[in-house]
Amino acid sequence: MDQSPALSAYRIMWLIVLFDLPVGTKAERRAATRFRLGLQDLGFEMSQFSVYLRFAAGKEKAEALCRQIEALMPKSGKVHVVQITDKQYEMIRTYRGRKREPGPKNPNQLVLF
Amino acid sequence: MVGRVIDIATDGRHVALNRGFLVVSDGGAEVGRVAVDGIAALVTNAHGLTFTNNVLVELSRRGIPVVLCGPNHRPEAIVWPVDGHHQQSGRMADQIAASTPLKKRLWAQIVRAKILAQGATLAAVGARHAGFQLLSRKVRSGDPDNVEAEAARRYWPLLFGPEFRRDRDDPGINGLLNYGYAVLRAGVARAVMAGGLHPGIGLMHANRGNPMVLVDDLMEPFRPAVDLEVWRLVREGAAGVDTAAKTALARAMVLDLPTAQGLSPVMTCAERLVASLARAHAGEGEDLALPLPRLPLEG
Repeated sequence: MDQSPALSAYRIMWLIVLFDLPVGTKAERRAATRFRLGLQDLGFEMSQFSVYLRFAAGKEKAEALCRQIEALMPKSGKVHVVQITDKQYEMIRTYRGRKREPGPKNPNQLVLF
Repeated sequence: MVGRVIDIATDGRHVALNRGFLVVSDGGAEVGRVAVDGIAALVTNAHGLTFTNNVLVELSRRGIPVVLCGPNHRPEAIVWPVDGHHQQSGRMADQIAASTPLKKRLWAQIVRAKILAQGATLAAVGARHAGFQLLSRKVRSGDPDNVEAEAARRYWPLLFGPEFRRDRDDPGINGLLNYGYAVLRAGVARAVMAGGLHPGIGLMHANRGNPMVLVDDLMEPFRPAVDLEVWRLVREGAAGVDTAAKTALARAMVLDLPTAQGLSPVMTCAERLVASLARAHAGEGEDLALPLPRLPLEG
């Protein structure tokens, strides 16, 4: 009962947002920052520079998030939104330096502080 | 919406907002963050917590209940948003205008569903449950014979043994029940506010000091599902409300119940129940969308 069976039962999807935004001029930098902060407002966490990540509790939620990202989109630049299932997410291998870090964890139903 | 329950149970934590995240820190150091979008309820359970006003405003804006618990894990208050639903005032007017006979008929449906659910919980743990089907049929409009109390009198000893007393101030099993019900109450409160109904206008509960009478009415049919979780925890050796028990009980809102539309989590059932109640108040049919009793073999 440690990992939340209920959440996974609702088919968690993970959204990975990859973006490349021009930062040549001041206006472009401002647009890029606005996009990044907008992602954070939507609950995306930085995984790497220009790579943001969050889970969605179902397909509909993922679709809604995609539309919200579309609305945030600056005039120029390139953004990919990759959707993967929870099963695929579990298989992510993370390295820091040459050391392998433990695999990603699913969100729990209860977050205890 | 099926979301996550955030429980703050360590003394002295500080809760603030940062972009789209709820950030919890201790002595200035961040302990963790959770995306606000996706929170089902925030339950606070410790001494010396501090919140920023932003947190309360943002959670209210999104209709997420903040439950303030006392030392016995019993909710003392729930922060209630002013604006929960686009038809809120119309629905509240219907609610106030609802006739007593209608309320009584609706209440009878709820009691029947609760008694059947109690029977199902007893069946699931292998206890005697034969009489509950019959009891549920004895419920008349408004439950004037108080069959609900009769069912409860039989139910608790069958579930937790003859020496068990449901006393809200006791630790142990009662503490576990309190915690589970607090989560359930937060979820049902959220469904009520999202459905635009006023929590203070109940069907049956009429305690003048209770601002959440409707929530207490509507959570009745879901209580036995929590009881079953508590029974499992006790069998696994849980003695009180600790982290493991909380983690299990936080699932109260996502336990699957059989409904007319197939298996649905409690949170979704509660939303449907509220919507059907609003329709009944508006004179569009009197059938409440209640969960069906689960079969003995289903978890």
